[in-house]
Amino acid sequence: MIVAELKPFDEIMAMLAGSRKVLVLGCGSCVTVCLSGGQKQAEELASLIRLRSQQTGMDITVDVDCITRQCDKEFFDNFKFDPRGYDAVVSLACGVGVGFMSREMPDLRILPGLNTTFYGANTAPGEWKEFCHGCGDCVLAWTGGICPIARCSKSLINGTCGGTNGGKCEVKPEMDCAWLLIYQRLRELGKLDEYRKIRPARDWRKDRGSGVRRLSRQELSQIDEEPRQ
Amino acid sequence: MNVGRGNLCYNSVALREINMAHSDLTSRDVASLANPAGLMENQYAPCRWACPVHADVRTYIQLVAEGRFAESVDVIRNRLAFACVCGRVCHHPCEKNCRRQDVDEAVAIRELKRFVAEKVGSSGCTVSRPETQNKARVAIVGSGPAGMSAALELARKGYRPTVFEKHHLAGGIPMTAIPKYRLPRDVLQMDVDWIVAHGVEVVTGAEIGKERTLPSLLKDGFAAVILATGLASSRMLPLPNINHPRVYPVLDFLRELAFDRQPAIGSDVLVVGGGNVAMDAARSAVRLGARRVRAVCLENEQEMPAWEWERTEALEEGVTFIHRRGPVEVVTDGGSIRALRTRGVKSVFDADKRFNPQYDDSDIQDLECDTVVFAIGQAPDFAFTHDSGLEMDSRGRLAFNPLTQQTSMPNIFACGEIVTPPGSVVEACASGVRVAAAVDMHLQTGSIRFNDALPEKIGTIPAVTAGKVLKFQRQAVDIAPANERVAGWSEVDHNLTEEAALGEARRCMGCGGGAEVMVDKCAACMTCVRVCPFGIPKVTDVARIDSALCQSCGICIAECPAGAIISRSLPVGDVQMRTRHAVELLPAGRKIVAYIGGFKASAADWVGQSESVEGVAKVYLASTTRLAVSDMLHALTLADGVVVVGCGQGLDRYPQSAGRTSLRVDHARRLLQSAGFNANAVQISLAAHEGLAGVNEAIRQAISQMSQP
Repeated sequence: MIVAELKPFDEIMAMLAGSRKVLVLGCGSCVTVCLSGGQKQAEELASLIRLRSQQTGMDITVDVDCITRQCDKEFFDNFKFDPRGYDAVVSLACGVGVGFMSREMPDLRILPGLNTTFYGANTAPGEWKEFCHGCGDCVLAWTGGICPIARCSKSLINGTCGGTNGGKCEVKPEMDCAWLLIYQRLRELGKLDEYRKIRPARDWRKDRGSGVRRLSRQELSQIDEEPRQ
Repeated sequence: MNVGRGNLCYNSVALREINMAHSDLTSRDVASLANPAGLMENQYAPCRWACPVHADVRTYIQLVAEGRFAESVDVIRNRLAFACVCGRVCHHPCEKNCRRQDVDEAVAIRELKRFVAEKVGSSGCTVSRPETQNKARVAIVGSGPAGMSAALELARKGYRPTVFEKHHLAGGIPMTAIPKYRLPRDVLQMDVDWIVAHGVEVVTGAEIGKERTLPSLLKDGFAAVILATGLASSRMLPLPNINHPRVYPVLDFLRELAFDRQPAIGSDVLVVGGGNVAMDAARSAVRLGARRVRAVCLENEQEMPAWEWERTEALEEGVTFIHRRGPVEVVTDGGSIRALRTRGVKSVFDADKRFNPQYDDSDIQDLECDTVVFAIGQAPDFAFTHDSGLEMDSRGRLAFNPLTQQTSMPNIFACGEIVTPPGSVVEACASGVRVAAAVDMHLQTGSIRFNDALPEKIGTIPAVTAGKVLKFQRQAVDIAPANERVAGWSEVDHNLTEEAALGEARRCMGCGGGAEVMVDKCAACMTCVRVCPFGIPKVTDVARIDSALCQSCGICIAECPAGAIISRSLPVGDVQMRTRHAVELLPAGRKIVAYIGGFKASAADWVGQSESVEGVAKVYLASTTRLAVSDMLHALTLADGVVVVGCGQGLDRYPQSAGRTSLRVDHARRLLQSAGFNANAVQISLAAHEGLAGVNEAIRQAISQMSQP
């Protein structure tokens, strides 16, 4: 799941400079699940914008809407407030939603209300942790299910660097050394032979190295055949 | 300034048919509803399901809990004409089915009904007459609960009902046979007055079969006649000397008392019978000054049909019981009664549990007495049907079609105990409501077809859930000591105090009025699963909250990030609507919104009639568990500050209330701080359980802290 968190409020207000009519648009998928961009959070942000507007005399009108996903245009049929009537739309979707809405509705100012942070999972009530980096070339089979790309500061693939320190990372001392975790996990699994194998250099083109990544499912491509008369 | 909840239009259930049990609720469905309360019409809590008139118990109890007494009575009277009478004498099947029994004890529903109905009286609750009452005239014979309920329903439908009562006072058995110590006459009169106010004409002293007959009523322009004469005569036995003037049929005995004509009795009274009416007679005889009052019945202690409490109170008042004996002869001596000769009873019921007493004629015993009251059952009196053309069945009963409520003549209907098994007041009321519907169908369409199917009943609470519900002791009703009771005819048990009534009403778990998921909005985020203190939500495809289990705390509703959960018993956006309304009523100047957990608050607090703090709009909530962060921030857009006054730890009606409320306030303050606002504009105090003075003081303190950096 994509995890995101609210941008600093002042940054949002700076984006809204000059806007008189604003729609705060929640997204009912990942960002709802991580309690950052659902209907409720949209309402909360709307209240904060109204408060600032009242305090500074900016006279901003704010409405709130939320659709199932901002990254599928069929859901755009479900707007209760038509985004075209607004000076700006503060999208509480992840960057995907913001980018896609901007592409599909090029006349509108779609502004990001969130910072999209990571692919993560819930680890305790109210806590989400990064588990995947979306590198395009999964290695979890031989790392005991612990991702060194996402969880090692240097995304190393052949064990710890010299900066591991009592099981912690030299980059961020409160962070566990991913490779120590991998080592311990593989030992529990009786798979330390995997650890001993030397892995060749990764093909980072599968990450972001060769531009925008695509998924193409040809079996679902558009059929233009005319219906038989 | 503080306000109660807005008008929830509890009674108007104009909504699409949404069968919650078998289809998913969507946001579109909710948008089509005037009020989610309509959802509950498709599923009854066990109390409502068991009630013969299906009064919306949960709603009226909830309204009591909020101090909205007149509205509560309106909800009761929507279904039950005799709210005051039933508050005193109902056999309350609602309580026997109350799910609170799985936790501790049933909610004292009847006592709450009594409290609220008598507090509001006949004048305080709404009389809603149709704009025009120009439909047909309908005659009702008998002014008891069945007849008056039928008359009320017909008046509500625009008919012109006239009730004929043979006695000089209306009310039927509650008037003539329920002793005043159980049902004071002014209480009964409240119901009668309220019914009459709907345009019901009551003609008293009018015994049908004498000057007026059934055929003459039809000739006089009544389009239909409803027979609601009940069981007006006492069953007697053909025993020697049964017609002695000191042998009373029980209804005659009680009626004399009812009309303040002291029946002549001796000092040694024997009541024959083991039912509730026998208890009434025996306890009345004690009050008349009899030196010794005994009740003799065929049944043993376990078999006798009187309610346990009635028997206990009779015992306390000095009545003694002689079991397993049946009357044979009233023995007289020189014109006076000397004894009742009795024989032993071997068994009362046969193997099929049918009443079939077997006697031991070798066991004869004379029970000394000078007065005998026979309370062995009642029977209908069909004198008024002579020459009417009405047919009787082979067992001498009125020929009657229970499917249509009609007798052998299509425009003569019947209801109540004349055609139903003997029952209680509320059952007679239900029968009256039904016959009114039958008459209406007959007169409007010529055909009568009932759909008697009920909505489904909410099931039982599993032990694991019941174990998580906080226990609160049932409020005991104060009963006068026996020596005070027998000294006169004043009521024996006292009404709940207002404080006790509110406490009792707040024990109601609001079964089925809790959370409901709009499936199209749910993101299956697990938040409800993680925050519910009762462990009720489950996520299969989306979150599913079993309304039979939900305890209505509202925590999940407040926490759901998708806004996908609604309360079935509150309008969507209830808190924000009430806040807006409350703030609008504040004078100009600094405005503060106070959200207060109302578990311990008084009725005056709830309805905005108690002392407040200047510039503070108070919004009382069943619990602060229902207050979301978005509600607090919304309030700040309308006012200068928000004070959340929750109950202290373990002192609210719901578990985790104090902790959950505190976490939310912290979150609201963090959001404000991160956005550069004064986080102190939102304050929390856990003093709601301390009463009004404590709450007001907490609000003042909180306000003083708002301006601090």
